Amino acid sequence: MLLPALVVLAALSLYPFFYLIWMSFSNITLIGGISTTFVGLQNWQTLFNDPQVWGSWLTTVEFVGGILILEMVLGIAVALAISALGAFRNLVLTLVILPMFLAPVVVGLLGLFLTNSTYGLYAYLLHSLGLFNNSDILGSTSSALPAVMLMDVWEWTPLIVLIVAAGISALPKEPLESANVDGANAVQRLRYVVLPLLRPTILVALLIRSMDAIRYYDIIWVTTAGGPADSTKIIPIRLYETAFRFFNLGYAAAIGLSMLVVTIILGRLFVGFMTRGDVNVVRDTA
Amino acid sequence: MSYAIPRKGPRPAHSPARLGLYVFVGLFLLWTLVPLVWMVLSSFRTQASMLSMPPKLFVPFDTYSYWYMFFGGGGFGHFLLNSVIAAGGATLISLALGTLGGYGLARGTWRRKADLSFWIISTRMAPIAAVIVPLYMVFRQLGLQDSLLGLMVAYCTFNLPFAIWIMQAFFRDLPKDLEEAAKVDGCNTFGAFWRVALPLAAPGLVATGVLCLVFAWNDFAFATVFTGADTQTIPVAASQLVTQQGIQWGQLMATATIILTPMVICGVAIRRWLVRGLTMGAISGQ
Repeated sequence: MLLPALVVLAALSLYPFFYLIWMSFSNITLIGGISTTFVGLQNWQTLFNDPQVWGSWLTTVEFVGGILILEMVLGIAVALAISALGAFRNLVLTLVILPMFLAPVVVGLLGLFLTNSTYGLYAYLLHSLGLFNNSDILGSTSSALPAVMLMDVWEWTPLIVLIVAAGISALPKEPLESANVDGANAVQRLRYVVLPLLRPTILVALLIRSMDAIRYYDIIWVTTAGGPADSTKIIPIRLYETAFRFFNLGYAAAIGLSMLVVTIILGRLFVGFMTRGDVNVVRDTA
Repeated sequence: MSYAIPRKGPRPAHSPARLGLYVFVGLFLLWTLVPLVWMVLSSFRTQASMLSMPPKLFVPFDTYSYWYMFFGGGGFGHFLLNSVIAAGGATLISLALGTLGGYGLARGTWRRKADLSFWIISTRMAPIAAVIVPLYMVFRQLGLQDSLLGLMVAYCTFNLPFAIWIMQAFFRDLPKDLEEAAKVDGCNTFGAFWRVALPLAAPGLVATGVLCLVFAWNDFAFATVFTGADTQTIPVAASQLVTQQGIQWGQLMATATIILTPMVICGVAIRRWLVRGLTMGAISGQ
């Protein structure tokens, strides 16, 4: 029964995958029909010596690292707060997750609107605080990256909230009760009981988000397209530009494969973690 | 269930800590909802009325003109239909193959199953930019460029592995006894799947379908490379409203609202299974 699905999936993924490997050893031109020449390791040599690509990896680390820290810390805090709400817990949770359903490209466009120096609501608020009066938020190298990061944080913190809140409602009651009996205060219960018990849930959320963080690039593409002065040019944007603006497809393939390696490492961690059966199991964290 | 354990005696209803909790959740709700509310409101306002600063929250709607473009022939109605066809088609294909595949994966016992699972999930997680490059070449050779069929195929590259993986998680939850009883009663393997397992997994099937639909509907990266003027989907059409000559904000916000609304309705309808689906089955949720 698995066979039809596997055959289709192989056609959809394995063939393009091997094609990508072959592309990375070729020089490809599209003008007047596709023509390819085998160039050996040339693309790979360029890749490892390209300061722009290294710069993009650095920006990627800043971007991904920044949004992961913000989303995890904020998400866990909000999940804990919402879980303690009582009455309106479910309603609040439903409202909080709405941004997740907005297409990332639209999140970017909405961000463009809100930060627009003439029409933007957030630009107006910042202006009245005396900020960004003479500069465009998405147009200056110092504020563009934080701005697109905040757009991502707006859209995806709710996912962390949702996952962690589910983890909280599945917590066993006994450890908390015994901590209570032992006279632990709220902070101690959180630090020594709740957070350790939530560790597997939090790890799943972190891995899922880190894989998606380099998967999508829509927000940056429609807001800054990598600019100004490459300050938001994360590696998927660099790849897209190399492939479809400069039509240097062989080189783009090499960049793509290097991204794939990162994803495969993260995927291995995720699957290993899942199949070890840590999830939903109380862990000994003495 | 809340992580806070009720203490002995009545809880002080308005303790400072409690108040702080409400303020924190309230601020997060504002941060989350203001952009969405602003988006919807702006779709009813003329450019001139948006210019008025300070921004007015409660103004009577002064135009419905941005909403007319979705009705009547051509233009945005057409792009909306493209989105429905591409996302809907990809969802149906992924569900049909993914359900069969997921069942096979859940019930199958063979060596190297872990490797197979890993291949499936890594296909889902592969960075979009790295997938687009080889697909672009393959589509050019097959003449699938600028066609909704090509876009459907592209969406299956991430939705099919997703559907297989998640349906596998749902099928694994079902007790094997029922299917075995059905086989004793004379069903073959497919009969046991079709008559017993599938109806029991129906909620999971709906949830998987909705998530596939959301992923495909919200896509921008694939659509912007694989479609043309006539085959573009609605997120691409939205991004095209941003031009060098200026931006029709009202029109853009109306389009954004149209993109978001169906996804929110579907997403909230499957709230119970959201955590399961979005963590690739790793966490069960409520």
